[in-house]
Amino acid sequence: MKPIDTYPRTQSYDIECIHSLSRGEEGIILEVPDMSLLASLGLRLGKRVRLISKSFAGGPVVLSVDDRSIAVDRELAEQITIRK
Amino acid sequence: MAHCGPKTKRRGQSKQLSGGDLHKTILLMGLPNVGKSAIFSRFTGLDVMVSNYSGTTVEFYEGPMEIDGESYLLKDVPGIYNLEDPNDDAERVARQMLEDGPEAIVFVLDALNFESSLHLLMQVLEHDIPTVVALNRTDLMKSRGLRIDASLLQQRLNVSVIPTVALRGNSLDVVKYAMAQTVKQEARHTVPSKDKDRWRVVEELREEVVKTTPQKNGADRFSFLAKPFPGIPIALLVLAVMFGFVIGFGMGLRQYLLLPFFDNLVFPYIRGGVEALTDSQMLRAILIGDDYGFLIKGIEWPFALVLPYVVSFYAMMSVLEDTGYLPRIAVLLDGVFKKIGLNGSSAIPLLLGYGCGIPAIMSTRALPSKKQRLSVAVMVCFAVPCVSQTGAFIALLAERSIFAFLFIFFVSVFAMILVGILMDKFNKQRVPFTLMELPPLLVPAPKLLSKKILFRIRHYLREGAVPMVVAIFFAAVLFELGFFPALGRAMAPVVSGWLMLPEAASTPLVLGVFRRELAVLPLLDLDLTTVQFFTGALVALFYVPCIAMIATLAKEFNVKTAVFVFIGTTATALFVGGLFARGYDLFVTLFG
Repeated sequence: MKPIDTYPRTQSYDIECIHSLSRGEEGIILEVPDMSLLASLGLRLGKRVRLISKSFAGGPVVLSVDDRSIAVDRELAEQITIRK
Repeated sequence: MAHCGPKTKRRGQSKQLSGGDLHKTILLMGLPNVGKSAIFSRFTGLDVMVSNYSGTTVEFYEGPMEIDGESYLLKDVPGIYNLEDPNDDAERVARQMLEDGPEAIVFVLDALNFESSLHLLMQVLEHDIPTVVALNRTDLMKSRGLRIDASLLQQRLNVSVIPTVALRGNSLDVVKYAMAQTVKQEARHTVPSKDKDRWRVVEELREEVVKTTPQKNGADRFSFLAKPFPGIPIALLVLAVMFGFVIGFGMGLRQYLLLPFFDNLVFPYIRGGVEALTDSQMLRAILIGDDYGFLIKGIEWPFALVLPYVVSFYAMMSVLEDTGYLPRIAVLLDGVFKKIGLNGSSAIPLLLGYGCGIPAIMSTRALPSKKQRLSVAVMVCFAVPCVSQTGAFIALLAERSIFAFLFIFFVSVFAMILVGILMDKFNKQRVPFTLMELPPLLVPAPKLLSKKILFRIRHYLREGAVPMVVAIFFAAVLFELGFFPALGRAMAPVVSGWLMLPEAASTPLVLGVFRRELAVLPLLDLDLTTVQFFTGALVALFYVPCIAMIATLAKEFNVKTAVFVFIGTTATALFVGGLFARGYDLFVTLFG
């Protein structure tokens, strides 16, 4: 997987890091690190996620996928790219 | 939470089951937090024990279960998401159990985590063991507008699929009936995932079987609990209410039920009985004396002073656990814990430590790295008073000065953070990623909750109260033999000279090695000032946790760690206690 920094941050690409979601907003996963636990928790390609809570004091972001709440480390969340 | 190893002693009807030659095993498998333990609890009796899979730190419950008149051993396999990670202990254990040749598997397929459950089920089915599927939490599924076609799933996989609500025990008889059929047969299910991409198979199957998509997002209903605001104020409120309940309920139980009961109904008879039976002053002093009278203090301390707080603490803790609220606290605190090289999930062993240090140390096994385990275990040993000791603190301080009592807890939290920072300084490591599911909040089922609380109280009686009684017995004998006064003189330079306490206060320091609360309780009977009481409490807080915790440390980590904690805690206790006594003395001399 390409690091996100190689994508130019312009509107036309429409590819964003999960942190760019505001609370309550949804996006579709385009890229996700290859970890079996991420997949099992529902964070897989093409899944629709909703941001419940942003990182607080370096803590995890909380996402909602398939009606489940998943806490994902801030750094790990940075490696997940989405399309709004 | 029990921390005993495999027990060979069993009671009740499980006579056919003995030690190693348990031939017929049934595995209970599924993701974490999907109601596995609820099913386990309802299928087995109270004759349940915790075991370690040999050579690992992974714990699981096992208990006898009867199907059609035949006895089986039901094993509650640790909740896992996958079967294939070679680095994950729990997954390795689960794999090993599958290879050990169980008779059958009860797979808990979570209706809410349908895809992940199905993904794990595929991996389990690939092992070709007769399987019954309990499609669980169908009640929550309905409330979220999902409908799962169990009979279609049954057709596709060729296994029995039974919709259940394990928490309330619904349809578990049907599961048992299906098990009776299944154990007699060979596995004959189809495994659609063989040689195919498992996630694709799972997603296709889901498309087919799950009838309606959710209209309303159920997980979002309580999502505010995981947001900093209002999550953090609520967490603080919850912890404050919990603390208040533990203290208030415990105190009430002690003051209005247990103390009157023992003082008015039990002790007069014991005193009368002993006085009628023996004239020996010495025997009388050992049995019913004012200092360590074995038949008085040996009952009063473990059962009237400490037991009430054990009951109230575990009642509260079990409620918190069963509602699924604890992971939310872990998420809220995660960022803060990261600053000292820990994950938010460290909050759970620390909280448990306020109950008993031993299960707290054991529960560090769930933490993601060795470094975190060690840090948290050391934090518990140094700064977290167990519920027995808290009960003793209440008896010692709360009635004199509620401020002094609260201050002890402030010191405890402060010291805990300090120890955490120091542990991190000496062992810098990358903090593993936080990645966890927040299980949906639930109203605990009274039956399961009470079983859990009873299990823990029974555990306190066996592993806590019995050693305490034994320690008090030895204290009574040694006291009458004049051992303690001699010891007091020997330790006078430390106890009187440095800590500014009377010589008799050396006794709790000796007893405190064996039981944490015994570093406090004997002070009750000394005539001390509030400042001296507080000094004693400070020393006790930091002092050697208790011999059982030291042994647990040696077992879970190594002897070096245990020795380090033993010496470290003793030195810290004496240093801090003396510093306070001297500091206060200086303050009074200067400004008083």
